[in-house]
Amino acid sequence: MTKVVLSVHVLAAILFIGPLAVATSLFPQTAVRAIAGQGSVLTARLLHRVTRGYAVAGLVVPAFGLATAGRMDVIADPWLIASIVLVVVAAGVLVFLILPRQSRLLEAVESPPPTMTRVEAGARQLMLAVGMFNLIWAVVTVLMIVRPGSTTGA
Amino acid sequence: MLTALRAAAVVEASSLLLLVANLLTVHVAGVASLVGPLHGSAYLVVIATTFLATGARPARLKALIPGVGGLLAVRAARVDGRRDDLYVDD
Repeated sequence: MTKVVLSVHVLAAILFIGPLAVATSLFPQTAVRAIAGQGSVLTARLLHRVTRGYAVAGLVVPAFGLATAGRMDVIADPWLIASIVLVVVAAGVLVFLILPRQSRLLEAVESPPPTMTRVEAGARQLMLAVGMFNLIWAVVTVLMIVRPGSTTGA
Repeated sequence: MLTALRAAAVVEASSLLLLVANLLTVHVAGVASLVGPLHGSAYLVVIATTFLATGARPARLKALIPGVGGLLAVRAARVDGRRDDLYVDD
């Protein structure tokens, strides 16, 4: 049964965190393009909705992750504690930086007349947060595979 | 957003019922280890969707109640919706 729970955890991570990485990365340039008239604001709005929706769905990942850890008795391992701390930071970046900055940027694009400098500054700030978010997930993924200090598996 | 909240609320309540029923009757370990995290996920999703759907304090506090919090939050959010408090998704 541990294998089933672990499979759900990995599947959820791929299906829910993957789209988050794509949507958050595409959003800033989409917003800038929309204001420059090279794209529709609808695309930016859709990416914002994807970010919000998959952020909620992504909660499945830690729920099944903790269940897996409990069953495998690795909950107190340093690599897992480090991963948990990093995921909490990533969640904070998503909820308190990325999502509010996205909606502020959408407002700036939609409120006439949108000023290019304001949008570009907002997009740059947002890109910084997105970079942090995706970097943390890359580190956590490596931690989950390498499990430094662990004696089980490769 | 209210549709997602309603679905998560149903999963939250029914998975808890299933867990308790399993505990009191056959007590199959596999059921507990699968439905347990499912219930945990639903609980978290209920809280997140409620916080996204409404800024109203009563609904948000109700969402935190384990087991039936989601169903209570759906009701509270619906009442808020009539007061135009609800964040309406486009």
